[in-house]
Amino acid sequence: MVLLWLLIVPLVASPLAFFLRRRAVMERVNLVAFAVLSCLAAILTVQVLRRVSVSFWNGFFYADALSALVVLLTSFVSLVCSIYAVGYFRQDEKSGVFQEKSELQPLLVVPKLREYYSLTPLFVFSMVLVALANNLGILWVAIEGTTLASVFLVMFYGRETSLEAAWKYAIIGGVGLSMALFGTLLTYYSAHRVIGTDTLSGLNWSVLVGNAVQFDKPTMRLAFILILLGYGTKAGIAPMHTWKPDAYSEAPIPAAAMLAAGVLNCALYGLVRFYILTSRCLGPEFASHLLILFGLLSMAVAVPFILVQKNFRRMLAYSSIDHSGIMVLALGFGGPLGVLGMLLHMTFHSITKPLLFFCAGNVQQHLKTELFREAKGGLVHSMPLTGAAFLMVTVAVTGAPPFSLFLSEFTILRAGFSGGHFALAILFVTFLVAIFSGFLIHIANLVLGSDPGLPPGETCRWKKFSIVGLASMIILIGFWIPAPLFRLIQDAADLVTGAR
Amino acid sequence: MHLLQDAAFGDRIITLMAALVLVLQIAAVGQRWIVSSIRIFAVQSFLLAAIAGIIAYFNHANHIYVAAFLTLVIKAGLLPWLLEGLVEKIRIRREIEPLINAPLSILISGCLTLVGYVVASSFYHPEETAGRAALGHNTLAVAVALFLIGFFTMLNRRKALTQVLGLLSLENGLFLAAISLTYGMPLVVELGIFFDVLVGVLVLGILVFRIREAFDSMDVSKLRKLRE
Repeated sequence: MVLLWLLIVPLVASPLAFFLRRRAVMERVNLVAFAVLSCLAAILTVQVLRRVSVSFWNGFFYADALSALVVLLTSFVSLVCSIYAVGYFRQDEKSGVFQEKSELQPLLVVPKLREYYSLTPLFVFSMVLVALANNLGILWVAIEGTTLASVFLVMFYGRETSLEAAWKYAIIGGVGLSMALFGTLLTYYSAHRVIGTDTLSGLNWSVLVGNAVQFDKPTMRLAFILILLGYGTKAGIAPMHTWKPDAYSEAPIPAAAMLAAGVLNCALYGLVRFYILTSRCLGPEFASHLLILFGLLSMAVAVPFILVQKNFRRMLAYSSIDHSGIMVLALGFGGPLGVLGMLLHMTFHSITKPLLFFCAGNVQQHLKTELFREAKGGLVHSMPLTGAAFLMVTVAVTGAPPFSLFLSEFTILRAGFSGGHFALAILFVTFLVAIFSGFLIHIANLVLGSDPGLPPGETCRWKKFSIVGLASMIILIGFWIPAPLFRLIQDAADLVTGAR
Repeated sequence: MHLLQDAAFGDRIITLMAALVLVLQIAAVGQRWIVSSIRIFAVQSFLLAAIAGIIAYFNHANHIYVAAFLTLVIKAGLLPWLLEGLVEKIRIRREIEPLINAPLSILISGCLTLVGYVVASSFYHPEETAGRAALGHNTLAVAVALFLIGFFTMLNRRKALTQVLGLLSLENGLFLAAISLTYGMPLVVELGIFFDVLVGVLVLGILVFRIREAFDSMDVSKLRKLRE
């Protein structure tokens, strides 16, 4: 039953925000909806820990530890983003972003906000559906749904560059996902002699996973390649990552944070589901080689772009490409350690990444630029809180101790060494160090330095609250992971490796 | 034996139609009028609906009738109508010169068709699947070819609207592949895909319209402000 509510809540919030029109009401509808969603996700977690899996409507919806983890992270990310969004859009309105316009037409404040506040719940709905759909075809439909719901969020500001970014996002995403659909179809084909075709449950995960050993092997091989290319495009793995810097730098900050910390998980979730089928059918080697290749390639692509980056919004996108590469690489290393490392990384990344976006958003709104060159440094004098948080989260997101991402990256490194991939593991560390130094130099130059004499920039309570709250969570989780959360991650990892 | 009960006759009709679908796709590659491309897409979708209908008839599979009907209504009717309305609105009738000229494009499409046949025969074993009347099993190669040519169109063409058409022909290729491999996806998935295609075209249509307003052109190659 909780599965149904998880879907109904965001689905109802969307038209509610659309028809109620008043700004304060729309903000509250979003906040309440995502707060309720987070509570429901916590209930789902408890149920899954107790009963292994929950299903509804004859198994049309299905949740195990892996889906519960993704739902939990999605609801958390959408809640913090909706808190930050209140402050972000109020400041946008105050500074007249909506009035001065662009080349096209004057943007009206309320219709614009209505667009954001009614599309975001739809966006969240499709992300939750990704995790709760038992049918792998519905999973595809839901991932395509996340693209469709977020295209208008990417072109929110209606600048020429936003249109360009939205176009790239929609077309590259569409082509990628058509490959993923082909992969899904081939999986169905390779399975249909074992489980039959015309039943409703033909593509159901709970049916497929038990029979994966008997699937047609050559077809499954081709299917996994297509799935990796398809969902890899959505996760922004190199060389299909080109939409990411554009979309992340054009979307309003809360939407960009949800793309980076929400959709990324959903795409990887889809990939993991097919990875499980493939490794049961063909053994782990085949998928491993491909995943390691694409993972390291993504990290390698991110390194030079982070080192010489001029624009801090685009730098966040390259960081996201780097992180999806790390997770794919971890899955490729495989084994209990590799998978655990990947899921830990997914969790910690979803908690840490939004703060990085929020800090960048504060800086951008205050300085009215996204270029390092025009920012001139010394930010900590006008925005002490944001400056400090920005430095902290930079260290955290690049995986330095004592923050939690260090723990997951270290686990992945151990998985690499214990799997015998010595050269690759050393390459992994090299990339990490390069990205760490590039990131830190850029952000330190931005935050530290002499006072350029700007007026104080932190006035909004909502923004301060979301930054302080999230920063304290990041510090806390570096030292203490709640036991149920860790058990959930461990259960999900066991599910992937087949230990249970 | 009556023709309408003879599976071999149905098989021949399906093969003929699949061949027509492929010919249309190659014709679309050389086409420069956008409205003609849209009509080619409509006829192609109509043929796909017919193929699905025939397979449904000979296999008594009701869920394929639904897919065939939806293809007819949405892909052969609604989408071409919407897209032609969009062409009227933005008043762009012709594709600019593609990156690769028409004769060479058609040659490349021919090669891609061959690739489709090689790929399809590499992992496909019809004798193992022949549980029921093995109808339409030779259309997989056409489906893969459609998919590949759709890709090529998207790379080759620069107008936003023709890229949308390329995406739609990718989808048509997938539909044909689904029918020839497994007699379609499960119905609920099929419905979901139709919904996504419909919403996707609406979203992309609005985007095309906005791009046209902002840039006074639909030339995607002008979309290059976002660079490192």
